[in-house]
This record gives sequence, structure tokens and C-alpha cells, in this order.
Amino acid sequence: MLGLVLLAVMTMLGIVAFSYATPGVGLPASVLGGGNEAVDEANVEFRRALMAVREAEAAGADEVRLRILVEKLNWALRMIDRAEGLLLRGNIEGAAAEAEQSMEVSRGIVSDALRLRDESSLRTYHGKVFTFAMVPVASLLVTVGAHYGWKWWRRREIDRMMRMEISGLRESEEET
Amino acid sequence: MARLSEDLKRAVTIFISATIVFSTLAYVAVTPRPREQFFQIYVLGETGKAERYYPDGNPNILVGRVVRWYLGTTNFMGSVQYVVIKAKLGNSTIKAPDDVNRVPSPAPVLLEFKKVVLSNETWEFPFVWEIREINVDDGVIYPTVFEINGMVFRNSQVGALKGHNLRIVFELWSFDPESDRVMFGWRTGVERRVAWLQIWFNATIAGT
Repeated sequence: MLGLVLLAVMTMLGIVAFSYATPGVGLPASVLGGGNEAVDEANVEFRRALMAVREAEAAGADEVRLRILVEKLNWALRMIDRAEGLLLRGNIEGAAAEAEQSMEVSRGIVSDALRLRDESSLRTYHGKVFTFAMVPVASLLVTVGAHYGWKWWRRREIDRMMRMEISGLRESEEET
Repeated sequence: MARLSEDLKRAVTIFISATIVFSTLAYVAVTPRPREQFFQIYVLGETGKAERYYPDGNPNILVGRVVRWYLGTTNFMGSVQYVVIKAKLGNSTIKAPDDVNRVPSPAPVLLEFKKVVLSNETWEFPFVWEIREINVDDGVIYPTVFEINGMVFRNSQVGALKGHNLRIVFELWSFDPESDRVMFGWRTGVERRVAWLQIWFNATIAGT
């Protein structure tokens, strides 16, 4: 009986010691809750920002502006990493603050990326319209060029034939 | 009149032909070409080339001996990608990643490197590591403390007899929008591919 009690006490002491020795990991979920939730939310916001940037890219955004957004994404990612590190060390407030900042950056990226996507879509659309509008213009230019080119070539050929005929007549006159 | 109609016929023919040709060209110009989507992953030695992966060419790594590699990946996916490179510590018995079933290695993760990479961008960074502490248990050597890029990492699971045939496995993971999570490898259309690398080494104690 005494042995069982001792075993139970030792087990409890062991659990308590473990929870103190491994900060963050061993802390109760209720204590970690705030920091964990903030990091999770920061991750969700980051993924949203990433998708928004990819949409802007698909819409044909220029590389310079895209690079700026990607740098911001990496900044948000580093903040999430720092938040996770702080959480593991048991600094819940620090982790929540870091995650909150990351969320702010990600939200900023989303709004910038959406604006860039709309601008790029419009520019791409105008580009396509211009390209296809140039088709009949180019065709017309080629047609006019071909028409007058053909006429010139034909006149040149007729002139050549005529010159050949005249020179042939002169030769026959000289022979007679 | 007959002459004019012949000219007109010819002009119409040329116009239609030119329109077909220019429309095709315009379509090709505005339509992005489909191309193969993939990532490239590589590890270079201390000289930044595919050579000198171990100090003095000796794969027996002593405690405190610094090993310098360069790890890199290039994004040929045609879009911005979120890439994670996981460095894992394995031995000869822990399974390597499975290329056929696209399963990552069950070896414990030492460190993760994360970055959002632009299309056609190469992300290269140094991977400088050393074994700080070793634990010997019944002939099995456990490299218990690693220092990687100035950060300390602990290992208690992976050891090897006489410290022989340990390996660091680098796995390439990427964000998959379909499943909304980071997955081993990447998806190209309906296909999934994986990429990983490993470098073997022996953990040794001075005098052995």
C-alpha cells in the first residue's frame, strides 16, 4: 500500500518536474492557448497572403512589384518563426505580439496583392485587346503592300518583255 | 471591271491569309506556354562546388569539427512558391524518403529552412554544422548535440554502431494550395513529385 502511494507521489512529482523542465512543450494547453492561437492565426493569414500574391502573379503582375510582396511574405514568415521560437521557450506574450505583427504584415500584403492583381488583370486585358486589334491592321498593311508590289512587279515584267520584243525587231531589221 | 474584280479577289485572299497568320501569332504571343514544373535541390561542398563535402576529404567527423555545405533550391514551377527544406538526421536503418510512394523519411527533423521563392529564383544558403557532443552507449555512438548555423539542436534518438553510416537527409517540401498545407515534394497537375538528398558521414571520437 505504502509502495503504491509512493509510486503515485513520484509519478506526480515527475509530471510536475517535466512540465517545468521543458518550457512551452510541457505547459498546459490553457496557458499556451493565447500564443498558440495567435501563431495559428498568423499562419492562416500568411497562407492567405501567399495565395493573394500568386493570384497577382497569375494576372500578369510585373516582377519588381511581385518581388517586393515576396520580400514582405518572407518578413511575415520570419516573424512566425520567431513567434514559434518564443512559444517554445514559454514566452507567450512575446509570441502573441510577434504573431500579431506577422498578421498585420500579411493583411497588408493581401490588400496590396489584390490591388496589384486588379491592375495587372486590366493591363493584361488591354494588352490582349491591343494585340488582336493589330491583326486586321497588319493584315491590311500586308494586303496593300502585296497589291502594289504585285502591280509594280507585273509592270516591270511587261516592260522587260516589251524591251525584248523591240530589241528583237531591231535585230531583224538590221539583218534585212 | 473584270480587272478590278481580279485585283479585289487577290487582295481579299491575301487579307484573309494574313489575318489567319497574324491571329495565330497573336494567340501564341498572349497565351503562356505550358512548361514542365519542377524544383531543383542541391548540396555543394565548402568550395561552393560539387566537391570537398568533408573537411580534408575525410568523412569521419570529429566532435567540434566544422563542416560547411551550401544548400540550394531553384523554383521552376512557374509561380511563387513557399518552400521548406527539412534537414533530418538518419542512420543506415532509418528509412530514406520513398520516391515511389512519396513518403518522407521518418528520421527526426534537426532543422527547417523556410522561404517564399519567386519563379526561376535560386535560394542558396550555407549549412554549417558540427557535432558538439557525443554519447557512447554499448558501442553505439549518438551525436547528441549539433550546432547548425550557430543554433544548437539536440538528438537522443539516432545513433549508429561505432558512429558509422550516419546521414543528413534534406527533403524539399512545398505549400500545396489544394490541401492548404505544406507537403513533401510538389504537385504538377495531377502528378506529385518529390526531391531529396542525403550525405553520409561517420561520427567519431578522437583516437578511435
